[in-house]
Amino acid sequence: MAVLLLLPYALLLIQSFWRLRNGTLTHELTLDNYRRLFGTRLYPATILYSAGVALRVTVISLVLAFPLAYVLAFKVRRHKTLLYMAVIIPLWVSYLVRAYAWKIILGQQGILNGMLMSMGIIRAPLTVLLYSTAAVVLALTHIYTPFTLMPIYAVLDAIPASLKEASQDLYASRWRTFIHVILPLSLPGVVAGCTFAFVLSMGDFLAPQLLGGNDSALMVSNLVWSLFGVAYNWPLGAAVSVVMLGLTLILLWVAGKVEARGSYGGDARASVVDYAAPI
Amino acid sequence: MTAIVTAIVELHGLTKRFGTFTALDGISLAVATGEFLTVLGASGSGKTTTLRLIAGFDLATEGRILIDGVDVVALPPFKRPVNTVFQQYALFPHMSVRDNVGYGLRMQRVPSREIGPRVAEALDMVQLGPFAHRAPRQLSGGQQQRVALARAIVNRPRVLLLDEPLGALDLKLRRAMQLELKQLQTQLGITFIYVTHDQEEALTMSDRVALMRQGRIEQLGPPRELYDRPRSRYVADFIGETNLLPVTVTDRDPAVVTVAGPAGPIPVHVAPVGADAPRAGAQVWLSVRPESLTIEASAAPWGAGSPGVGRGRLNRLPATVRDIVYAGSVVKVHAALADGVTLVALRAPADPPVATGDAVTIGWAADRGVLVVD
Repeated sequence: MAVLLLLPYALLLIQSFWRLRNGTLTHELTLDNYRRLFGTRLYPATILYSAGVALRVTVISLVLAFPLAYVLAFKVRRHKTLLYMAVIIPLWVSYLVRAYAWKIILGQQGILNGMLMSMGIIRAPLTVLLYSTAAVVLALTHIYTPFTLMPIYAVLDAIPASLKEASQDLYASRWRTFIHVILPLSLPGVVAGCTFAFVLSMGDFLAPQLLGGNDSALMVSNLVWSLFGVAYNWPLGAAVSVVMLGLTLILLWVAGKVEARGSYGGDARASVVDYAAPI
Repeated sequence: MTAIVTAIVELHGLTKRFGTFTALDGISLAVATGEFLTVLGASGSGKTTTLRLIAGFDLATEGRILIDGVDVVALPPFKRPVNTVFQQYALFPHMSVRDNVGYGLRMQRVPSREIGPRVAEALDMVQLGPFAHRAPRQLSGGQQQRVALARAIVNRPRVLLLDEPLGALDLKLRRAMQLELKQLQTQLGITFIYVTHDQEEALTMSDRVALMRQGRIEQLGPPRELYDRPRSRYVADFIGETNLLPVTVTDRDPAVVTVAGPAGPIPVHVAPVGADAPRAGAQVWLSVRPESLTIEASAAPWGAGSPGVGRGRLNRLPATVRDIVYAGSVVKVHAALADGVTLVALRAPADPPVATGDAVTIGWAADRGVLVVD
């Protein structure tokens, strides 16, 4: 089982050291692919651009998901499961369908343009809506916000009501209870949710492909796809993939560390109070 | 003990309804400064609701709560001069023991140079000084309980609310903690309002006990009063063990009731009754504690007690031994009266032995029998 899972990664790694000669794959080992990767502006720039998009998606998802998760966990009494399902159900709809939906909404003949025109706000359809970084960020945020919400909701819902009461009993107002008790206890969920949103949107392929325009909003996955599928430069495509894989693993490792530190099991001496006390 | 002079907590017609369910039905109560008051009751009797209303975690439907003469009903929990020890301790898992204990002081913006010594003092008081840097989950249940206690008393509250604080501990530890809690309370002079369903705990620790039933206070008084002079069958049954005999009131002064016998009713003398006693002819219950009953190995003649023994008359009834249960320091003898009602008497293992099936005489001093109504 583990072999089957790891084999493709091993093949990818080996392939990234192969040489492409006159359009034919040779099994000579070389570092040329990595030299070209880091030596050409395009590749690091694409990775940075992807990270930028992912960061924006993460921040917006967090800003949307945290309050929603908080309300669901603490304020909603009745129909809690129903409301939670309402947030989660979109995940059951095919990702492709949802990405296409944004195309229909944002397109030149799209719903948004149609609505704005019929309301008399604009005269001619806007062309900036679709095929832009903003459209990609919008679609990715829509798709990954539930992923951010789920772990945050899970940790918030698991916080016993008595901890809030104990904090208020010990002279902390609702706001300070949030800062000193709820927020630190929710950190593992926040880290997990943000990691989901960042990693998944950084490696996303469909949204930039459908909504990102020809080359203005190209992300790493699209680059890899074109290296493999259009340029037939499999070794370079593999090298880009390996770098992305490495970055993702580093990110997951850091997130894991932060989560462990923030969770109940961490060394209590490094308590949140030590860096949030003055509030 | 400090003299009980003024009321620090007053409840006036306190009512709490959850939808159609009335958890608390207009209770009124005054807790004296420095008092150890236990709110005792079965689950659902409203005891925890009472505590939560005083702490401010729930809002009263009706009624007033005065703390130190100030109506606190409209105040949120963080503005009330009380602290709570929670049933499951509710320690902050992401903070060390020291940070947990110092939390209330930090939130009150006590200068940090004062916080350190006060936290250390509170931890010493509960003998947890060496554990200051531990995380709560690294402590045993008993130790966590002490942290919860230190976290509350470090704030030097006027009133400490305790919600079944020993409920999660095993029996031996619970007994030890009962004594410690009582000592701490006497030493600090803090008013304790202590919620429990354990009647033994209530009797051991309290200055006064409020026994709750269905959202009302069934009886309020010192432990001895609840034990010796229960006002109702419920109180007699809830506090300690008791024998309940169905009786008919025949005379009020001197108080005489009759117990059904094979050859007609048998008169039995009981403790003097107050003005609120049941009228003659009423069907009530006679409560006699097992330790007040004596068993004589010989069968007595049918009839009422012989006069002038001990502090009062002695009632004697013939009975048959049904069962003998050895319980270490005591022997429990179950004996049936003529009409089938079984009484339990406590005897010392050294008492003259009786055997199952023996015809014996059950006796008790008249003033140990208390009339209770349903």
